[in-house]
Amino acid sequence: MAPRFESHDMEDTVENVNLFFNYGLPLLLLVVAYLIGSFIEKRHFASIREREDDLHGFPVVSFDTMPDDWKVSSSDMVTGSIVISLDYFKRVIAGLRGLIGGRIKTYEPLLERARREALLRMSESARKQGYDAVFNVRLETSRLANAARDGKGTAGVEMLAFGTAVKFASRFG
Amino acid sequence: MKFIPKKPREGINVSDVHPLAEASTLIVGLIAIFIAIVLLLIFIIEVALYFVPARTEAELFADWMPEDLMTVSPGDERLYQTQLLVDRLASHWAEAPYKFRVEVDDSELANAMALPGGLIIVTQGLLDEVESENELAFVLGHELGHFRNRDHLRALGRGIVISLFFAVITGNDVAGLGIKATDIALRGFSREQESKADEFGLAVVQAEYGHVHQASRLFERWDDADDNTRAFITYLSTHPQPGDRVDNLRAVAHRDGWRADGQITPLKWQ
Repeated sequence: MAPRFESHDMEDTVENVNLFFNYGLPLLLLVVAYLIGSFIEKRHFASIREREDDLHGFPVVSFDTMPDDWKVSSSDMVTGSIVISLDYFKRVIAGLRGLIGGRIKTYEPLLERARREALLRMSESARKQGYDAVFNVRLETSRLANAARDGKGTAGVEMLAFGTAVKFASRFG
Repeated sequence: MKFIPKKPREGINVSDVHPLAEASTLIVGLIAIFIAIVLLLIFIIEVALYFVPARTEAELFADWMPEDLMTVSPGDERLYQTQLLVDRLASHWAEAPYKFRVEVDDSELANAMALPGGLIIVTQGLLDEVESENELAFVLGHELGHFRNRDHLRALGRGIVISLFFAVITGNDVAGLGIKATDIALRGFSREQESKADEFGLAVVQAEYGHVHQASRLFERWDDADDNTRAFITYLSTHPQPGDRVDNLRAVAHRDGWRADGQITPLKWQ
């Protein structure tokens, strides 16, 4: 049935408030999420590149057996892990993408950041402990459920990098 | 084997598309798809209407009533008299497939609407506004016109289909769709549908009283009303502006040579 309002002014006010909550607020949130999200992403990539430059020359390889010429004095497992979450903007755009399918392009840089950050943390930890290289490096990922929507939502993803760090008895023959 | 340090290569796993470009492509594309689907659904409704005769509709919705309707008591005098008036008016539409039912909603806001199965709803607010039977007869005749052109079903069908579509997209449950559909049905008529209904309503009034005097007087009053009063007339949000209507009705009466003067019948409950 027709909505019942006290007067014209009241009707306008209620309408405007409804309009704001239904459309204005999500839109504002979207813009804010995009601005903050892309700022954080840019900063993170800059930090990743800088630290990768710093680690340049530190061998991190995925062989599961050690090359024959590596003469090793000690070894240990090293891990690096990061939990990363998506912003509202990425989530909304991915949701739209989910209606028709295709590459979720807004998630790609997110996972790229996670992979490189996890590898960096692992390598940095290995170097800090005095190791010379990491071999048999593997990446694992797992989704963190969001308790809010009965575990159906995604709070974020964990990216775990792990490998065997080794200390050389003598440097490269 | 020699270890040659290399920097990680970029641009392999990340698409070189700006997120805003991706967003706008998706939004524009999806809106286009959405509009296309809604147009298709409206077309399907038109086709369905063609294949569902009015008689079938009348049977299907014979006892149907919107859930959120707040009716006055069945013994109400005004309800009784309005039903009698509708029956008299409907007798001028000999081949009417509906058995018209009148319900009076207890809203203070003046409005009238045609719903499936020959259900005509008038509000108490409207009954308070009308000053003669001739005025009321035209409003009722107008709603009969909607039944004749089957506008009521068209709008309701659109309402249901569009809210169903929204429910599928947003994943909301389908409960409460009926109410939304009614709401959309209230504002779904086009200008052309309205003026056709107006012409039919005026013809019915002419057939009943032998003249069209004061048929549009209610709208003349509403046209003069200030904004504060107008807020109580939801009729105006779902029907054309009163000034335009009065002019149209005059033109129709003049064209068909209908008398613009004659005996005014008072309301039975006054």
